[in-house]
Amino acid sequence: MRSFSLILKQFSRSFVLVASFAICGLSAYAQGDAAKGEALFKTKCTTCHKIDQRVIGPALGTVVTSETDDKWLIKWIENNQALIAAKDPKALKIYNEYNQSAMTVFGDLSDADAANIIAYVRADWKTMQTAKPVAGAPGAAPVESGPSDLVIFGLICVIVLAFVIILVLNRVIGTLERLLLKRQGLELEEEEVEVAVVPVDRLLLAKKLIKNKKFVFFVIICGTIAMGSWSWVTLWNTNVHTGYQPVQPIKFPHDMHAGVMKIDCQYCHSGAYKSKNASIPSLNVCMNCHKMVKTESPEIHKIYDALGYDTQTQKYDTTKARPIQWIRIHNLPDFAYFNHSQHVKVAGLKCQTCHGPVQTMKEVYQYSPLTMKWCIQCHKRTDVNMKGNAYYENMIQVHDLIKQGKHVTAAAMGGIECGKCHY
Amino acid sequence: MLAMNKIKILGITVIVIAATVVITSCKDKRNTGWEYAPNMYEHIAYDPDQANPNFKDGQTAQKPPAGTIPVGFKTFDYPNTKDGYELAGTEVKTTLPQTQQNFADGQILFEHFCSPCHGMTGEGDGLVVAHGFPAPPSYSKGQSSRGGAMKDLSDGKIYHTITFGVNAMGSYASQLAPEERWKVIMYVHHLQTL
Repeated sequence: MRSFSLILKQFSRSFVLVASFAICGLSAYAQGDAAKGEALFKTKCTTCHKIDQRVIGPALGTVVTSETDDKWLIKWIENNQALIAAKDPKALKIYNEYNQSAMTVFGDLSDADAANIIAYVRADWKTMQTAKPVAGAPGAAPVESGPSDLVIFGLICVIVLAFVIILVLNRVIGTLERLLLKRQGLELEEEEVEVAVVPVDRLLLAKKLIKNKKFVFFVIICGTIAMGSWSWVTLWNTNVHTGYQPVQPIKFPHDMHAGVMKIDCQYCHSGAYKSKNASIPSLNVCMNCHKMVKTESPEIHKIYDALGYDTQTQKYDTTKARPIQWIRIHNLPDFAYFNHSQHVKVAGLKCQTCHGPVQTMKEVYQYSPLTMKWCIQCHKRTDVNMKGNAYYENMIQVHDLIKQGKHVTAAAMGGIECGKCHY
Repeated sequence: MLAMNKIKILGITVIVIAATVVITSCKDKRNTGWEYAPNMYEHIAYDPDQANPNFKDGQTAQKPPAGTIPVGFKTFDYPNTKDGYELAGTEVKTTLPQTQQNFADGQILFEHFCSPCHGMTGEGDGLVVAHGFPAPPSYSKGQSSRGGAMKDLSDGKIYHTITFGVNAMGSYASQLAPEERWKVIMYVHHLQTL
């Protein structure tokens, strides 16, 4: 089976190669130079366009291929605003279809440049079209390479069945042998005697051990030590969730986003420096990037499904939207108050101080124990930075007043702040 | 007999220690483990990012009713269209004091929220762009898709873009408060001159 898929793969690869060469040959006859067009396309157009997919602008493959009037296309590429201003019907139609969002004016492109881009888009689209039907074969290969769940279950079933059959057969053989022996008569009694002797022997050993006081004493001591140490460790770890790593509804890799891409923690957890909660990002934050990248990933499609987002029309259907239930990892009990902004903004702590090396975690787990001892240890060791903090500056002023021998009123300590009474 | 016992005792002690280590070390990472008084951990009060059966959509974090404005909030009444953008460009000006502190805050906010794509110097060469996201134009050298050079973009135009987004860029209204947007704009104006 595997060799067959390999042959298919090789065949499809060579087919794609031949096809692309053929198209390259064909496109050489077209007006523009596709190779030059490719470079231009990648610098000027990919911000808003893809060839096979609607992004910000239309999917260029179909649009440019179906439009035969090259002069009009060149005009549009160079200065679409002029066409719209001149009330060209085709231009107006596109302008209105795309929500009147204007395309950049490319005054720096010559007619030849625009023709090159058109040639490249058409050639590339043709390659994609011919490659598509063949692409199905290598696409099917990965399914075969790994054993599916069904195969594994089947194997387990076969093994279990085999065991059952062996057991049953053993029984049958046993009874048959006994029957044979019964017919022969004499030999059976001898065996029965042997069988009866063995359990008596074992019981004797156990009885001897129970009567041995030293042995019993040591068993009890060891048992007490085992139970004691087990309960000691268990009690210490009760309500401590260090290492907790639940399965999240979407496999969000922190190592990719925060590690490889070096996106700041606060890009997504933007509440961390201004609110009690670091906040879990709403899905519009995901869509800032994933409207454009990794659009084929099944995990990203979970985001699209939750938003009711259609990748073809790029529209949101709010009636299909539903919240994603992330599983909370860091959880403080209700009797402890913790404020992120106080630690991130005022103390200037790095997120990693408490959350560990999140930028290397493929799956996030709880790094710190979040116990009271852990909090207090840090609070005992941390120096307070009083500069640029109005609260501490007031404290220092009050201390100066005391040193000068002046009265310090409750008002000086913020005693007439509204919130002191009306909270 | 005693020699036998010694070996047995030693053996049992080793087994007991091994058993203790095994019992205490094998911890299921998918489980929070033993909890005392779990009702203190499973809050009765609803957390903002947790589920809530009292609302139709099951979320605690609800959107305010349409049309409500927080006290002291300045609305930005320009539609998300080309005309709204041009109008905001001529009418809206920053009211933020142009202080060193605000500039420094703006730089930090820019680095957190904008630099992944726009790059540290606004050249459009951020790390996310290096990994395949379409590159935005340079602040100092690029051309805006809505006409004109990027370096000539005014306060109102940049504010409109941050608020609503444009092309591949999404809206940052949910991540940046109005005042923070003005701080970012202070820093972007600096990058436009580079």
